[in-house]
Amino acid sequence: MGLILGMVMGMALGVALMAGWRHMIRYRSGKRISKAVDIKSLSSLNRDDLKKICGENFPAWISFPVFEQVKWLNKQLSKLWPFVADAAEAIIKESVEPLLEDYRPPGITSLKFSKLSLGTVAPKIEGIRVQSLKEGQITMDIDLRWGGDPSIILAVEAALVASIPIQLKDLKVFTVVRAIFQLVDEIPCISAVVVALLSEPKPRIDYTLKAVGGSLTAIPGISDMIDDTVNSIITDMLQWPHRIVVPIGGIPIDTSELELKPQGKLTVTVVRANNLKNKELIGKSDPYVVVYVRPMFKVKTKVIEDNLNPVWNQTFELIAEDKETQSLIFEVFDQDIGQDKRLGIAKLPLIELEPEAPKEIELRLLPSLDMLKIKDKKDRGTLTIQVLYHEFNKEEQLAALEEEKRIIEERKKGKN
Amino acid sequence: MGFFSTILGFCGFGVGVSTGLVIGYYLFIYFQPSDVKDPVIRPLVEHDSQSLQQLLPEIPLWVKNPDYDRIDWLNKFLELMWPYLDKAICKTAKNIAKPIIAEQIPKYKIESVEFEELTLGSLPPTFQGMKVFVTEEKELIMEPSLKWAGNPNVTLGVKAFGLKATVQAVDLQIFAQPRITLKPLVPSFPCFAKIFVSLMEKPHVDFGLKLFGADLMSIPGLYMFVQELIKDQVANMYLWPKTLEVEILDPTKAMMRPVGIVHVKVLRAMKLRKKDLLGGSDPYVKLKITESKAPSKKTTVKHKNLNPEWNEEFSIVVKDPESQALEFIVYDWEQVGKHDKMGMNVVPLKELTPNEPKVMTLDLLKNLNQNDAQDDKFRGQLVVELTYKPFKEGDTSKDLDNPLQKAPEGTPPSGGVLVVIVHEAQDVEGKHHTNPYVRIIFNGEERKTKHVKKNRDPRWDEEFTFVLEEPPLKEKLHVEVLSTSTRIGLLHPKETLGYVNISLADVVNNKRINEKYHLIDSKNGKIQIELQWRTSS
Repeated sequence: MGLILGMVMGMALGVALMAGWRHMIRYRSGKRISKAVDIKSLSSLNRDDLKKICGENFPAWISFPVFEQVKWLNKQLSKLWPFVADAAEAIIKESVEPLLEDYRPPGITSLKFSKLSLGTVAPKIEGIRVQSLKEGQITMDIDLRWGGDPSIILAVEAALVASIPIQLKDLKVFTVVRAIFQLVDEIPCISAVVVALLSEPKPRIDYTLKAVGGSLTAIPGISDMIDDTVNSIITDMLQWPHRIVVPIGGIPIDTSELELKPQGKLTVTVVRANNLKNKELIGKSDPYVVVYVRPMFKVKTKVIEDNLNPVWNQTFELIAEDKETQSLIFEVFDQDIGQDKRLGIAKLPLIELEPEAPKEIELRLLPSLDMLKIKDKKDRGTLTIQVLYHEFNKEEQLAALEEEKRIIEERKKGKN
Repeated sequence: MGFFSTILGFCGFGVGVSTGLVIGYYLFIYFQPSDVKDPVIRPLVEHDSQSLQQLLPEIPLWVKNPDYDRIDWLNKFLELMWPYLDKAICKTAKNIAKPIIAEQIPKYKIESVEFEELTLGSLPPTFQGMKVFVTEEKELIMEPSLKWAGNPNVTLGVKAFGLKATVQAVDLQIFAQPRITLKPLVPSFPCFAKIFVSLMEKPHVDFGLKLFGADLMSIPGLYMFVQELIKDQVANMYLWPKTLEVEILDPTKAMMRPVGIVHVKVLRAMKLRKKDLLGGSDPYVKLKITESKAPSKKTTVKHKNLNPEWNEEFSIVVKDPESQALEFIVYDWEQVGKHDKMGMNVVPLKELTPNEPKVMTLDLLKNLNQNDAQDDKFRGQLVVELTYKPFKEGDTSKDLDNPLQKAPEGTPPSGGVLVVIVHEAQDVEGKHHTNPYVRIIFNGEERKTKHVKKNRDPRWDEEFTFVLEEPPLKEKLHVEVLSTSTRIGLLHPKETLGYVNISLADVVNNKRINEKYHLIDSKNGKIQIELQWRTSS
């Protein structure tokens, strides 16, 4: 009797213990999971969420701009700046001097850094935004502002003139840097970083030039030439769609997918121009047209003398790398003794072109592409062109890439 | 009779309990699903007030405290990178664990241990705010608030003695507040030499450990015990002020301190080419060391001589003998205009044996580009004698981590050395000009720093020493910021931008003080002065 009673009681107790344990397991697990869910949903709050949580006591000092502020990073950067400036000076000299050489305008025989010091003021990061535009990539946009006091002295040598040291001061940089991280399955999980400056908003680099121990007018047009060089370097190398690809060591990766490749070919015919402005005192202007997509690859028409309604009918071929963001630029110049004057400029965004569909367009010439610089609304005439866009297939793309590399090599040899 | 039945009763009870446990186990626990599901996360706006109440204790620190910054962009970055990180870490962990397991298995007579499931889950760690501290020292201090409530699933299958046991770890939650200090700061990327990590509070760790499907960590009492045990173990190792030190760069090399001196004797040059149209050339040699900000040195000019003899000596400081080189350029001096380059050559310092003078005859080249087929013209030769003298070990090792140092030999026994380091000043402004420099007056002696042109936040980082017979307990140090202008015709060529008198009793007692002082007679100016008192005992 007692045995059976004992057994029954024992079994009941055993089963109850197990049931109790399962209940505890469920309870604890439930608690942990709900905590995990809470923390996850709190990790990316926006304005509405916060209003719901705080109700009336919404803290007044919190804001949700598109680019998140990073006050802490700016504090650290200003503390770290003297050391970063020292470390970067050598690297910048090494990497930028060859660029100055490549993009040097024809009037200048040598352009080098004679002194490079980045100053005491650190750049400020106004905000950071992270998003994922493509599978397997993280895009980070950094809004950078630098009102620095660097001391950069360029040694400029021009033909027939002695070398003049030109100082670049009061450098102000406003730009948004886009860094794209390519993700991969192995530590450190990032195989390459692509860096470029966003073209929207347009990067601004402002500075004042001062000639040390001389005057800027000693080499005529030197400040314009330096402005031009800086602009070319930026639009051709750093501004989207151009980019710098940095592979992160340790992981073998094919970065060719990330590099900018020729997308298609533009066949452009410069037909004629009408009603050009007369810039000459005696006679009429001698116009010619410069056409390009990239400032590095410019093509020119013949010069037609003494004519304000010239007809050229010349055809050129240009490479387009990114139909979405690039444009064809046409600059009409008047040939002169000394520096040629610009009669007008026009821009044709490639996105307006359909592949394999030839088009004839009459473009209005403007005094400048920068809307802020146009002071007068005088008519500068029109330029008529024909254009055909042909999209490359894989083989043509590779062939065009090879051709481009070859041309750059030859140019380098030619300059030396 | 009763006694016997009680005993039977107890036996029955015992048997019953065991049977009951087994039955209960099978009934309730064995059939529980062992997979880990991804939790469903509803957006906050859909929650009702009750579930919101639950959320309140977990509100991130950046919402509650104004001194914490929000780093949701970093959370997003981690979230996007998490699937890849998960796979990468698990792969590495498996690769590291496999050989260790293979070694250990035979010792315990286990047949095999396998990872049936290894994943870190779908929830990434999140940062609940970032706080930075700014001190006068050369270091960066950051304190992110880290919370990881993940749903990892680590399942080990252990086979031994014909049985199979599954051990599963789930629901790992770690809440920690690490303090990350980057120091010392050095002028080469990434600009800091070491990382120090320590925890400001004991971390909170919670997880589930299932053995045969039953969660051991839900037994009340047991989980609290295990949690406390883990907290104490981790605290023992990493609770502040104990730290985990990770070295990134070699601090002595990265700080770019001089490691030696190279003595250069420019002897003579032979068979130089004529560069001037009339008469001979007027050569001189310009020498400098690569990768250094030090200015170049020049010999004298030997007029109208194509085989000049100089025999002049120079000493140049060396920071990295492996990568630096000596560059020699022979120029032709001109009265008017630019001096013509006659030829050049470079000697890498690693070709020199320490403390052994070496005489070298260098062919003068147009440039270092060997492919330049433009000239094979002979430009002459330059003869130099080079001796590289590295510093002895004792001379270079200044304790980088410990700023407290002993006085050098020769200090009077009861006295010591007072070291004054003028770091930087902020917001100094003169009425007429601002080219600040600092003047220090102590004990009748005066010292001055270099002038910094046109700068309201000048940085000097200059060190001055005073040897004293006894501790300066009652003395004061007078520090003054002045400005001079070289413009001619100014009524006020020299003006004062502010001053401060520092009492030295504190530094004698504390050995080292690094502070920012407000300048008197200045609107807002501050100066950072570091004082050290070194004794020989």
